[in-house]
Amino acid sequence: MIEKEDSIISEEEAAQYDRQIRLWGLDAQKRLRGSRVLLVGLRGLGAEVAKNLILAGVKGLTMLDHELVTEESCRAQFLIPVNNQGQNRAQASLERAQYLNPMVEVKADTDRVETKPDEFFLQFEAVCLTGCSRDLMVRVDQLCFQHNIKLFCGDVFGYHGYMFSDLGQEHNYVEEKPKVVKPKTEESNDGPEAKKTKIDPNETTMIKKTACFCSLKLALEVDWTNEKAKSSLKHTPHFSTTQSIVFSPFVPLFVPTVLLKFRTDKGRDPHPESFEADAMLLRQIRDDVLEAMGLSSDLLPHDFVSYCFSEMAPVCAVVGGVLGQEVVKALSQRDAPHKNFFFFDGMKGSGVVDYFGPK
Amino acid sequence: MVQLVGSLRKELADSLSACRVLVVGAGGIGCELLKNLVLTGFKNIEVIDLDIIDVSNLNRQFLFQKKHVGKSKAQVAKESVLQFCPTANITAYHDSIMNPEYNVEFFRNFMLVMNALDNRAARNHVNRMCLAADIPLIESGTAGYLGQVTVIKKGLTECYECQPKPTQKTFPGCTIRNTPSEPIHCIVWAKYLFNQLFGEEDADQEVSPDTADPELSWNPADTEARATASDQDGDIKRVSTKDWARSTGYDAVKLFNKDCLSESLFKDDIQYLLTMDKLWKKRKAPLPLDWLEIQKLGKILEVTGTGLKDQQVLGVAGYSQLFSRSVETLRSMLADKGDGAELVWDKDDPPAMDFVTAAANLRMHIFSMNMKSRFDIKSMAGNIIPAIATTNAVIAGLIVLEALKILSGDVEQCRTIFLNKQPNPRKKLLVPCALDPPSANCYVCASKPEVTVKLNVHNTLVLALQDKILKEKFGMVAPDVQIEDGKGTILISSEEGETEANNSKFLSDFGIRHGSRLQVDDFLQDYTLLVNVIHCEDLEKDVEFEVVGDAPDKAPTPPSAQEDKNVANGNKDSAEPSTSSKAPAEQDDVLIVDSDEEEPSSSTMDVRMESGGHKRKLHDAETGEASAKRQRLDQPLAADEEDDDIIALD
Repeated sequence: MIEKEDSIISEEEAAQYDRQIRLWGLDAQKRLRGSRVLLVGLRGLGAEVAKNLILAGVKGLTMLDHELVTEESCRAQFLIPVNNQGQNRAQASLERAQYLNPMVEVKADTDRVETKPDEFFLQFEAVCLTGCSRDLMVRVDQLCFQHNIKLFCGDVFGYHGYMFSDLGQEHNYVEEKPKVVKPKTEESNDGPEAKKTKIDPNETTMIKKTACFCSLKLALEVDWTNEKAKSSLKHTPHFSTTQSIVFSPFVPLFVPTVLLKFRTDKGRDPHPESFEADAMLLRQIRDDVLEAMGLSSDLLPHDFVSYCFSEMAPVCAVVGGVLGQEVVKALSQRDAPHKNFFFFDGMKGSGVVDYFGPK
Repeated sequence: MVQLVGSLRKELADSLSACRVLVVGAGGIGCELLKNLVLTGFKNIEVIDLDIIDVSNLNRQFLFQKKHVGKSKAQVAKESVLQFCPTANITAYHDSIMNPEYNVEFFRNFMLVMNALDNRAARNHVNRMCLAADIPLIESGTAGYLGQVTVIKKGLTECYECQPKPTQKTFPGCTIRNTPSEPIHCIVWAKYLFNQLFGEEDADQEVSPDTADPELSWNPADTEARATASDQDGDIKRVSTKDWARSTGYDAVKLFNKDCLSESLFKDDIQYLLTMDKLWKKRKAPLPLDWLEIQKLGKILEVTGTGLKDQQVLGVAGYSQLFSRSVETLRSMLADKGDGAELVWDKDDPPAMDFVTAAANLRMHIFSMNMKSRFDIKSMAGNIIPAIATTNAVIAGLIVLEALKILSGDVEQCRTIFLNKQPNPRKKLLVPCALDPPSANCYVCASKPEVTVKLNVHNTLVLALQDKILKEKFGMVAPDVQIEDGKGTILISSEEGETEANNSKFLSDFGIRHGSRLQVDDFLQDYTLLVNVIHCEDLEKDVEFEVVGDAPDKAPTPPSAQEDKNVANGNKDSAEPSTSSKAPAEQDDVLIVDSDEEEPSSSTMDVRMESGGHKRKLHDAETGEASAKRQRLDQPLAADEEDDDIIALD
């Protein structure tokens, strides 16, 4: 449970967090300060999320990753100093992560997330999974859902990225709205128009709201070929069937679906060093997925595969930024959360929020 | 066969390692941008920033730590980046980009320039330098949860100045001096008062009651009578506040023990205002403070509670004590500095901030407004724009993606991208929009730029032309002005000292009149502007000049008219660093920063909105609630609306 610590914010915190307290308020900052977060995976996206949460001022961040630093990771991640090859990734990231904000308790955990018992997760208010297999994400999400822990997932595949959130059955939050006050108007008959007395236009009011989320399992169990999906394609009368596919709501799910399947099949993500073989497998999976989605395979560029390799740093920054802010919103219970997916296409610069799951 | 280096095709990866890029600014966007650039594979990066690190930067400028406070941002950023990428070739400049050293030749060294700035003046300048050097420029900005990235390429796209951007809001002198109705008026008054007492004197920053208030003037006989009366009153009313303070010799006894200053400002002046009874027919009249009575109320309530100390709102007694204390502190600071010294107001200087907090609040109380906390007043007085790491992270990511398009030769793929707080009706959180072509009558990038300026040739000083019009308004750094009078008379020379004698003369002294033309050159920016002069004798009060064709910058534009979303181009019009001890007297016209940016109120417009009228209606640029109400969407939009959204049709 997030406990709003009623202690005073120190002078140090007030000075350091000044610019963000002015944005989301002291209350939100206190809630952040009472939250512990688990972050799984310290590749490019993980490092961005770690940075964003540490800077935001959470109580604690545990970075969990069993993988070792490779030569490639040096290029991909800004928390790991050079010459740390062979070290554990979380461990290697620890020092620079802690330097980002000494007021946050940053820890490194080198275990495999699959080996962690259920109780392990219960110490956190939020869990963020990156680089995990689909099955693992579904399993951890079930657990979090039961215990009212906010769950986030995200991945970056080349130019593409996505994030998913499950904030539970009922996520309560507030929105701050300006108070609308009408200025007093009075008739002015003589002389130049008198100025009107205005009430302070900066007063605001907090409105309570609730959002409901579904599990990852349900979100991914989308029936591509159901009537509703088909009917949404028919709402673009000016275009032929093939062109209308571009407006299908499922298009953004396409790349994550293919890449997560690859990850499950190969136990890793596509790697530039095995480009040829990986590209072939990707195209194969692409064909299968497109068929299952009822989409034609010649709609996507043949070389889409070459834009899915590795993690592009700027795409990690964008997805990590959005994901980081969603975690902040959820923990601080302030502002409407994005429900429930965010998709980013780095080629086009478009970022969309969409909901997949039972209505 | 495609060869990849990481995520990138080999050809692109190779060109990244070879090219040189310039990053202007090493703050919120700058830190994120430098990190993205090196991780993406850029090898040769130059970064410039005139500022030093402040503790309030640390919540987002992640390349800096507490131990770096006070050091050069550019320098520390470079060192931090080298920690995780020692092979990067980074040159750091602790300098202003407006320094003439960074001339067109300098800019021509780079394949690409990326701005990570927080003020309009520098953006204008870099815009011109990149046009002159014909180098692509990626421009960006953030404020709170909102952000924007765009690409500027000479001849292909709009330049930064193609769309006129309103300058910061100003308030008429009589509102500040006589009839404040909002806290911001009182805060501006308090800052003026600071300068009158301790800082650089400015005739435009008078704080005493204004007998020339237009509201009073419809009966000329009255005004004259009043003017005479004030002459007879002598002392406080006639003499400027600064002179009065000086005349007392800042005598601590006079100012402090006898509470002369406070009595004068918060009682006597208010009583004087009350005699101008026309002002109070439709308004609630101000209530003078009985200074001595307030003093008797005793100690300020102890600060309690779990909030920030600064967020407390004290009572009148508290603020009166704060006022007295801060005056005394500032007085002795000034005395310590010696003869002829001046203090410069700085939001991060505690007594200066205390002074404004106290003075503004006392005035608010007098004018029946709810008093505000130091925290809130600091926001308004200091033009603080709230900022977080994540917004900057997203924008900096988008900047690099645009950079890659440019370097791949795909500049037609470039877009302006807006970051919203909430998705728009078409579910877009990030909204790409096509770039606009250059504006035909842009006063910067058109082939022969020209403007028309209305002013009074008889009372506009040459110095005002140089500073307020050419530098401040038209963004020049070192203008040279020639009169097109057949003789090529040189009015202003950018060479120091050459035309100094002209500064205190009026334009008419040089034969400039209605219809005159001035040729203005800024050789650093490689920019020539033709200025047409229209002589005008009835400009509004407090208005020194008007640029024909500009949207008026006084009235706040109603939200419904503003559908595009250019993000704040910074909270400053000038280019001084936020931490410099030479920070300029902040613009009198302060921005109200409203922490909620979803629903545009007239105050947040000032922060977010730039152009007076963007050409295209950018449906996609509408945010959250406001736009959702306009377009209730249960089904996809009709096809012709989709046409506006170029991306979907790619």
